[in-house]
Amino acid sequence: MTVIPDGALVVSADGRRASLEISGLEVIDQPMWPAHDAGTTPARLSYRVEWEATDERATYDDPAKLFRATGWRATTRLRATVEIPSTGYRWTSDAMETSRAAFGFIGEEVNGRYLGPG
Amino acid sequence: MTTPPHDRERDAATRRDFLRTGLGAVAGAAGIAALHGCAAMPAVGSTSSSMAPRNRPIEALDALDVTNGGTDPYPIPWLDRNGSHNQAPGPGMEPSSIFHFRGKVARANDFSGMGTDNQGRRVAFGAKSTDFSFMSGEYFAGRQARQGAFGHI
Repeated sequence: MTVIPDGALVVSADGRRASLEISGLEVIDQPMWPAHDAGTTPARLSYRVEWEATDERATYDDPAKLFRATGWRATTRLRATVEIPSTGYRWTSDAMETSRAAFGFIGEEVNGRYLGPG
Repeated sequence: MTTPPHDRERDAATRRDFLRTGLGAVAGAAGIAALHGCAAMPAVGSTSSSMAPRNRPIEALDALDVTNGGTDPYPIPWLDRNGSHNQAPGPGMEPSSIFHFRGKVARANDFSGMGTDNQGRRVAFGAKSTDFSFMSGEYFAGRQARQGAFGHI
């Protein structure tokens, strides 16, 4: 998990749409994972993800685990580019509209101390 | 309370969800794992326009406000004792990967799609573990409420 830079995340005023666009994220290429001591190579990932709420409301909560999330199931799309500088390898996804995610959610959540009494 | 560095590294090495099982696997260039080594940046919640447009790992927040335990957000305690902030999304599952949080959140997984590499090969991506999310709002760490936005792949 990383800190999102200023300007990379845009959420609509009604909370039903969002986009997250990150460029040059430093990651590790590890072809032999999960083999023990699998070698790694520095790589970079750039991506854009878009969430758009459907009309299906969704609430996920568990008082015992101190969380409550309310929102909508979402249609989600992805565009990405991967670069491995040391090998010159580069991969770019097709247009965002051609991708899909089987599960998506967008909304708000309250958990932990913020869900406690008072 | 923060997670020991060796735990961070181990957990990071298991979080190759997106590219290991997705983008890189078919390419033969293969799996890309987790996130390390980004440049130091201003404190979370900063509105400075000088912030470089890059990610930094949340581990970097351990170094901020150290006397109060750092500003790194808490993981979900019963799902993620190792502090990797990694948990599967899905109906009924808690969307947030951080604890003591209130704000906007979105998750998605099980992506599918196609792409092309620089050899002209068509390469599919996506798996159930191809997982993207964000959390943006208030969280409690280092003995006080803070503002932040965090992403997970």
